Amino acid sequence: MLVVHCPVCGAEGDETDFHGGGQAHVRRPATHDPVNVSDEAQRDYLFIRHNPKGLHFERWRCDRGCGKWFHAARDTVTMEFKAFYGITELPPRELMEQATGEWATYFKDKLKAEAKS
Amino acid sequence: MSELYVESPLAHREAPQGLSIELREITDRGMIDVRGSASDKKFMAAAKKVLGIDLPKASRTSVSWGDVKALWLSIDQWLILCSRAKAVELAATLKTELGGTHSLIVDVSDMRAVLRLEGEGVREVLLKGSSLDLLSDDYTPGTVRRMRYAEIAALLHVVEDTVFDVYVFRSYADYAWDFILATARAPAKVTLFGAQSTPI
Repeated sequence: MLVVHCPVCGAEGDETDFHGGGQAHVRRPATHDPVNVSDEAQRDYLFIRHNPKGLHFERWRCDRGCGKWFHAARDTVTMEFKAFYGITELPPRELMEQATGEWATYFKDKLKAEAKS
Repeated sequence: MSELYVESPLAHREAPQGLSIELREITDRGMIDVRGSASDKKFMAAAKKVLGIDLPKASRTSVSWGDVKALWLSIDQWLILCSRAKAVELAATLKTELGGTHSLIVDVSDMRAVLRLEGEGVREVLLKGSSLDLLSDDYTPGTVRRMRYAEIAALLHVVEDTVFDVYVFRSYADYAWDFILATARAPAKVTLFGAQSTPI
């Protein structure tokens, strides 16, 4: 059983008090550019998900608690939660640096932008 | 015209017997759902003006003033408890006062059933349907916790050390009542230390 911690209300509880919401940081193409949405972009948005072995980023909801959505970084091998962070936030810097595969690609320019500011 | 009348969701159930704790339904409780932003000063001030208390900002807490209680449900949601007779009027006053702010007031007195559990072993009884550590120091009087109880959504309010209110949605009232009847049977009492009682 996973022990989840809600960063919004601070509640800690086991998995059954929460609800997993799938992969984090999925961007809906039509939100950013409603006119030019390619079939590939829409397909990727709807169906294509990362499946990393190791560090993964997910959405969770404090289902039976405060009802708010938040993000979590979890290791898919050890099932250990590395961090919990707000729904509008990016993961802690060190986790973005540790990310591999598709996540590393995704966080690459985020890290650059953060380094600039 | 048909007359408006209130019937509690557990009116047809008999008073329980043979339990290790006391269990009854509270039928005269008025409940008002309040939503708004805790960082909106106008909203908080208007709520205080009507209720006489500041809505609690700390997670899972409650405050009371006279017969009015405010329970924290979420960072932007509170449940106001008062007598059922007062609820309609109080909700109307709140609506008028909060008119200019981004907020929501709904009288939800009939939405939930309130179960009052009272007695020494009440925490152990509730533990049978919950994954929370109810024996820890987190659950002192005044604590409010929305939780998963017996697989359904419930709201737990620690009234006193051995007095707990469990709020469940009205349609689950019979189920929750039956669950507590089964888990709180005197022979099924859990003793945390020492010899267990023998089930009959």
